[in-house]
Amino acid sequence: MKISVSATAVTTPRKVRAVSIWLVAKWIAAFLVALIAILPIWWMINVVFSVPGEPVSINPRLYPTSLGDGWAKISMVLTETEYFRAYLISLLYALLTITGVLIFGSMAAFEFALFEFPGKRTFFAIVMLSLMVPTAVTIIPTYLLTAQLGWLNTMQGLVVPGLSSAFGLFLLVQFMRSIPRDMIEAARLDGAGHFQIYWHVVIPLSKNALITLAILTFIQTWGNYMWPLIISSDPQMYTVGQVVGLFNSPLSHHTVDIVMTANLLAAIPPLVFFLIFQRKIVEGVAMSGTKG
Amino acid sequence: MRRHLPHYLMIAPFLILFGAFFLYPILSGLVYSFFEWNAVSLGDFVGFANYFEIWDSRDFGRAASNLLVYISLTVPLGITTAFLLALLVDSFTGRWANFFRSAYFLPVALPAFLAATIWRWIYAPNLGLLNMVLGWFGIPSVNFLNDTSTMIYALIAVDIWVSAGFNMVIILAGLKNIPKELYEAARLDGASKLQQTLFVTIPMLGPVLFFVLTYGVISAMQVFDTPWLLTGSSFISYGGRRNALLFPVMDMMGRAFGSVSFGQAAAYGFMLTIVIVLITLVMFAIRSRLSRQ
Repeated sequence: MKISVSATAVTTPRKVRAVSIWLVAKWIAAFLVALIAILPIWWMINVVFSVPGEPVSINPRLYPTSLGDGWAKISMVLTETEYFRAYLISLLYALLTITGVLIFGSMAAFEFALFEFPGKRTFFAIVMLSLMVPTAVTIIPTYLLTAQLGWLNTMQGLVVPGLSSAFGLFLLVQFMRSIPRDMIEAARLDGAGHFQIYWHVVIPLSKNALITLAILTFIQTWGNYMWPLIISSDPQMYTVGQVVGLFNSPLSHHTVDIVMTANLLAAIPPLVFFLIFQRKIVEGVAMSGTKG
Repeated sequence: MRRHLPHYLMIAPFLILFGAFFLYPILSGLVYSFFEWNAVSLGDFVGFANYFEIWDSRDFGRAASNLLVYISLTVPLGITTAFLLALLVDSFTGRWANFFRSAYFLPVALPAFLAATIWRWIYAPNLGLLNMVLGWFGIPSVNFLNDTSTMIYALIAVDIWVSAGFNMVIILAGLKNIPKELYEAARLDGASKLQQTLFVTIPMLGPVLFFVLTYGVISAMQVFDTPWLLTGSSFISYGGRRNALLFPVMDMMGRAFGSVSFGQAAAYGFMLTIVIVLITLVMFAIRSRLSRQ
């Protein structure tokens, strides 16, 4: 014991220096990566809040230079283009998808997580297997089915095919499995019916998981580009992703600061969600990996 | 049966939607893949002709070879980056750990299509942010998205920018689950930090890394949004100069909505799926062999 104490005492000065160089390098690396992650987004904001037509070489756009011009561009994009309509369509698309995914997902998860009935394992296994099936194989025939239903360029065409979320079911089942069966038995003894147990016991207990799923579904639906691209071919039904795509296309006649305004507006709702619900989002993503 | 009725009623909405918009499309897609498609409806039965036609087409060869280059770079680079970032964040505590984790995750929170639409301007020749920075060092302007020798690397960089934070969060959760005693024991045995990482962290992260790897390969096989938006972003023009950014799903979508060959597109989807399922099975087989040793 004594020997080891004196040994550390002797080596301490050298160790401290080695550690501190390591430490400085670590901090520099951490900030550098943060810069790479944030700079493109920061740059986008600065391009919006700048004087139009100002050459980039004069102003590297590392900080916002004109707040007034920024607001003018934002209100121009919202009023003089189809952007605002697309915004409302995307919001409705996301809200309806979240509602459906939460209701249908929680009803099914309630049964799969807490009860036994014939066929349960088979049904659940089939749904879980679907997580392995790539979208590439379903997207074309699902489009054709939606077209046969006459749902092209409609809200139900956007929303309904995405409601049976296997990922959502998985997330909720994982969570609901940890609900003690005693609570359900107690509610049953109090005379609660099956649906009442679902609505008054399990749903309130699953609030956290439901919120996490709602946020993840929002980010995913708001960012969905491929499905609206083929379902909404009518400009009246364009979503934000499509309009942003048009602003950015090589044939677009908009200048870079207007394009960035369109980009920024698309980024705002998920960014706000992220800043408010960071922990839930990160936990939700982490859960999908560690328990999968 | 009556006793179980409430259970079936509760799962019915989900299962009906699942059957109608997932199971049925797979089956109908299989049928479509053997038919010709006339403008808006099913035409003649053509057997495997759609599959052969895809196989023989030049675009398919181009898309497949692009995909091979893309996957063999983006998956290992992406996971290594994510792993290093997770170690980095894990070495901080409290507020700074949270700050760096959030900063690295930020690109994931953006809508997926936005990565491409921001970066296409950062890559712009002459005036783009990246060329401006390179200009400070006297490097002449590079047209990243129109030069066939740089296009795929430009895509991979965007891809890692987006996916690193996502994978990092999953790996971080895995790191938290490794018992601290293992590191303690390794240190008492005289293991250095590097040895601890190699012989404690990586083996203990096995299942998590396997998930990240499998998921990474499956999603890379279906890459669409980013290369689509970095190139022409319309059914008339996609894939970029000399199809250097043409990938299978883009080719499939082009056949469906550009040239209205839905039969071929359905066949394309099945070919892709077969390859993806085979790769997944091989990965699972390798994993179970490794874990048995």
